[in-house]
Amino acid sequence: MSNRIGKKPGEWINREATLKFSYEGKDFTAYEGDTISSALWAAGERVLGRSFKYHRPRGVLSSANHDVNVMMTDGIDTNMRGDVVAVRDGMKLEAVNTVGGVKADRNRFVDSISPLLPVGFYYKAFHTPRRFFPFWEKMIRKAAGLGIVNFNFPRVLKRKTTTHCDLLVIGAGPAGLTAALVGADAGLEVTLVDENQYAGGSLTYDRAGASEAASKLSELIGRVKTHQGISLHTASYAAGYYTDHLIPIVGENGITKVRAKAVIVATGVFEQPPVFRYNDLPGVMLGSSAQRLIHRYAVKPFHTGIVVTANHHGYRVALDLLQAGVKVSALIDMRELGEVSVLEEDVVRKGVVVHKGCCVYEALPSKGQMGVAGAVICTYDEATNQANPSNSFTLECDGIAMSAGWAPAAALLYQAGTQMRYDDTTQQFVPAKLPQGVFTAGKVNGAFALEQRLQDGERAGNEVLRYLGKSAPEVNVERHAGSSPSHPYPIVPHPKAKNFVDFDEDIQVKDFVNAAKEGFDNIELMKRFTTVGMGPSQGKHSNMNAIRILGKIRGLPVEKIGTTTARPFFHPTPIGHLAGRGFHPHRLTPMHGWHEEAGAEFTEVGAWLRAAYYHKPDISKQEVIQEEALSVRQSVGIIDGGSLGKFEVHCAEAAEYLERFYAGKFASQAVGETRYALMLDESGVVVDDGVVARLAQDVFYITVSTSNAAAVYREMQRWLQIWKLQIGLINVTGAYGLINVAGPNARAVVGKLAKHSLADSDLPKGGIRETEIAGIAVRLVRVGFVSNLAYEIHVPAGSAVHVWNALMDAGANFGIRPFGTDAQRLLRLEMGNHLVGHDTDGLTNPYEIGAEWAISMDKPFFVGQRSLKIIAKRPVKKRLVHFMLEEGFSGEMPFECNLVMIQDEIKGRVTSISFTRSANRVIGFAYVDPKDVDPGSKFQIRTDSGAIVVATVVKAPFVKLERGA
Amino acid sequence: MQMISKPTPIAYALKDISPKMGLLNGMDVVMSFGDDVTESKNRQLLGICDVSCLSRFAIKGPSAAQWLELNKIKIPPTANSWNQQKSGALVLRLGNSEFLIEDQPEGKLCAALNVADRKALTGLYKVERSDVALLLSGSQVLSLLSELCTLDLREKALGENALVMTQVAGISATIIRQSLNNEPVYRLWCDGTYGAFMWDTMLEIAVEHGGGAVGLSSHYKL
Amino acid sequence: MKLLHCPMNGTRPISEFVFGGEFRDMPDPEASTDKEWAAYVHNRNGAPGLKKEWWYHGPSGTWFIAERNTLTEEVLRTYLFGQETAA
Repeated sequence: MSNRIGKKPGEWINREATLKFSYEGKDFTAYEGDTISSALWAAGERVLGRSFKYHRPRGVLSSANHDVNVMMTDGIDTNMRGDVVAVRDGMKLEAVNTVGGVKADRNRFVDSISPLLPVGFYYKAFHTPRRFFPFWEKMIRKAAGLGIVNFNFPRVLKRKTTTHCDLLVIGAGPAGLTAALVGADAGLEVTLVDENQYAGGSLTYDRAGASEAASKLSELIGRVKTHQGISLHTASYAAGYYTDHLIPIVGENGITKVRAKAVIVATGVFEQPPVFRYNDLPGVMLGSSAQRLIHRYAVKPFHTGIVVTANHHGYRVALDLLQAGVKVSALIDMRELGEVSVLEEDVVRKGVVVHKGCCVYEALPSKGQMGVAGAVICTYDEATNQANPSNSFTLECDGIAMSAGWAPAAALLYQAGTQMRYDDTTQQFVPAKLPQGVFTAGKVNGAFALEQRLQDGERAGNEVLRYLGKSAPEVNVERHAGSSPSHPYPIVPHPKAKNFVDFDEDIQVKDFVNAAKEGFDNIELMKRFTTVGMGPSQGKHSNMNAIRILGKIRGLPVEKIGTTTARPFFHPTPIGHLAGRGFHPHRLTPMHGWHEEAGAEFTEVGAWLRAAYYHKPDISKQEVIQEEALSVRQSVGIIDGGSLGKFEVHCAEAAEYLERFYAGKFASQAVGETRYALMLDESGVVVDDGVVARLAQDVFYITVSTSNAAAVYREMQRWLQIWKLQIGLINVTGAYGLINVAGPNARAVVGKLAKHSLADSDLPKGGIRETEIAGIAVRLVRVGFVSNLAYEIHVPAGSAVHVWNALMDAGANFGIRPFGTDAQRLLRLEMGNHLVGHDTDGLTNPYEIGAEWAISMDKPFFVGQRSLKIIAKRPVKKRLVHFMLEEGFSGEMPFECNLVMIQDEIKGRVTSISFTRSANRVIGFAYVDPKDVDPGSKFQIRTDSGAIVVATVVKAPFVKLERGA
Repeated sequence: MQMISKPTPIAYALKDISPKMGLLNGMDVVMSFGDDVTESKNRQLLGICDVSCLSRFAIKGPSAAQWLELNKIKIPPTANSWNQQKSGALVLRLGNSEFLIEDQPEGKLCAALNVADRKALTGLYKVERSDVALLLSGSQVLSLLSELCTLDLREKALGENALVMTQVAGISATIIRQSLNNEPVYRLWCDGTYGAFMWDTMLEIAVEHGGGAVGLSSHYKL
Repeated sequence: MKLLHCPMNGTRPISEFVFGGEFRDMPDPEASTDKEWAAYVHNRNGAPGLKKEWWYHGPSGTWFIAERNTLTEEVLRTYLFGQETAA
């Protein structure tokens, strides 16, 4: 039986286009523009889902995505909210959270044992005996939950873009539309956004059987759509408010991050249900829900129904129902005085019986609770909030429209830092103190009559104009007249409960009472214990009632109860939207392509990609690393060090600067010489180390570790500001490539290509020369980090590949082999060189690593000096030493971070450890008790399993290095 | 010194394709990626062009402005602005006292500045740079930039000679808006080591919008 | 996200910046007692309120000072080091 009615002005369906879809295996038709909810309701389908906890049958409640009664899956997408997802041809839908289908859900028995499952039951039952908890957990998880994750959900790219505007208006109801026009007419760039398919807000459904709203809507929309200054986004919601007016607008195809100079929040209100027993049966719905079905989708909400209301809205709903052809047998007004206005006269004149001071005591279910069959009406005392069932009567109906009041959709206002106050005239929280640049209009601001909302929109628009420096007059907004749009306490108690407050979470009135009894009587605690407002609609239809109930329990006014924190996102937002494209910036050295072709396995060092090792067929990673290291020990290897930080320091005061910045001396450093540079922070902790080279009297060239490069340069720049020395500081990290050739044949290889002589006397260890290699001007350093003989070539990035290729050619006869960072770590370990950040941590001072030699305390000042004076007064607690395990060690291999113990006391830990083929031993670094630092001392390492391994302190280097190795 | 051609900083991003190559200022460059029709379409809709091969010279320090003026360069008057010399060379004033000069394809200004005497003044430091330089054109170019940069780069917001140092796709970059062959284009410079990433990222988005890569010939008659 | 005004580059989103810690004048190391020096190195004022802070604009490498109310998030002003009193 179809519940579709005749064409409604401005309806959202296109009757020319018919679609086919199925729901729970049954075929249905819909019009283009129908939502899943409206199409099914039009077809007479009533059970559209099963509730989360008790698996009760559910129909539409809000038809606006303020609840998740109607949640579907199509096998691909798990959480399709029927109220707002448009029907597409060929959809195959099923309700989520059922076992055996929505009608025959085998979990429906849970409803009957619900007394055993009071709020918080999982804290009380099932957790002991502990060994049974996994069993119960599995059962409970299966019985609850809102769908099955599809692990094959296709990844579809959703863009995130940024746009800018003068004014962002959130909500295109009458207030928002008016405000947008005011702004645009004055020349502002306005972005107007509305979550619904079409703009208009309540003008698109709240009509009270008249045409005023529809024609106003037409007029406003017509102007907005043709206005050059307004960019209208529908079917997009403002997900949250972020500092300085950044609001992400979530649409189907992605997120638009809007940065506005001013924001008007005209988001309206959520209708709150009156609470009575069985107010959740299919066919019982919010008044505005009935109106949406009628005016947007031309669907008759039910055939013979009653309206129960605690405010004047029920009268408007009754008029809309009558116009849609619904037989309205009665209007139950919970207020003793009823409604004294034209609305009441209209309703009565149209033949509806009005019962004042009455309530719906309980709705009566039809068979299987699949619908509503009637309502029990009785008198209700507002003062005591008591119903008197002794004088009840029953009315038959197949639907109940219920209205009690509104809660402001103020999440974004809260997030922006708005102070709200409770207004007694409207029984609603309204903005009291708005932050700079944030404005509000319409129902969310407590303006309810249409004329009031239009004025409020104009007022807000003018306030924005003045805020942005344009002139605009103050607008007077009529004060609210008539009965309160919201009722302070529309709750009907019932001994058998099942009077629902939160439909997402199946929370009843008694759950609040129980929670308070347990001591969870503060709104935040009440929320967590009852889970009210924690479902997918995040309290849109329930939070206000929850606050009122808690207020009653505590005997406190609503404003003393407060509200819970409103957090983004306004609606559940797909993770794919949040991820967007996902940028992963990578820095590549000039030789990256070469490494890739040579079989490199890359590792990420910050944003850099460095070759960790080079794959060889049929050889394990560990084997390859040993081979790469061995080739350096035995002949020659080549590594790409392009990621190292490189800085130039120019000018006469450069040396002075370096002496203050680093712990060592540089004033007397000769041109052509390099020195180790130890960097400390103000507390005397080792932060980085590197090499300072003097290229000229007033030009220094510094290399620092890859991972610290950016941070070190920043600190250099900061100290430069503070010391005000006249120097030129240049970061040339990306401008130069860096190639390191190491091993006993390094001199032979590099010598083939270098213009400068590499003899010891011409380029001693630690020297730097500006010369040419393979015809390219380079800075050539003789270093000793991974081997005794090694050359570091700093070459302009554009020529790096050329020099690399030339070196590979030159080294071919020597079996030159590229090695990666893994082998490099092993090689430096063999040399006995520590790595800052690996062998040191955030508290290591230089005395602990034996770096006294790199410190010159006799300088007038350097960063960390004063702290070292304090530290030096205390005994050192641990010292870094080189160690080896016994020859042929075959026990449990210790790992980095395994502890060094003396009896049960922790004395230190292992920081580096590795087997090396070059020495055929396990070698490493460890912190030990200062009394154990002498070579030959033995100390104990406790392995992961608790076993003790004995290590011997040795002198570095660990490996017997060939002359020039 | 030998004349070895240098690869462009985006070379790695081009490794799997074989576009029509050329040589400019010692750098291997892509002259065009495809036929004229496609290149023209891309250029006018959303074209990404690698112009890293243009000659550049960078200098900084308290005397940099003075030195440039001594070398007959008309410098931009304020920090974070740029201008164009008669020869067409761009002079970018990065902050207050750092300058980046970029020649037109066959310009010789940078070569001359490179060998000009710097000893007479103190407080003058030549900056070694390896930039990837991109030229972005087309009616949809702001769609690309709005996905990669949070700044308002529209004509009304980014002044005619304004220069911004900001983040694009998470990387530090310098952007200006200029007119080339009577078309509005955007220029972007960032560290060459990010070249392949920047190119790949922008190309992916450009292609989605119906545009794509364009070679040097699309913008310059050589 | 928050916008911050760099004295050299104008207003930018906070993602372009690196926070450099509370701005504190270094006491004279020679004249400080060990206790005074340790307080300078390790102690910070955690109470909410107006703070002077170091901030660094990443893309341009500019260090500057921001006077920020850590309770209200309002940034009163920003200036280059040493230009506190500049017009």
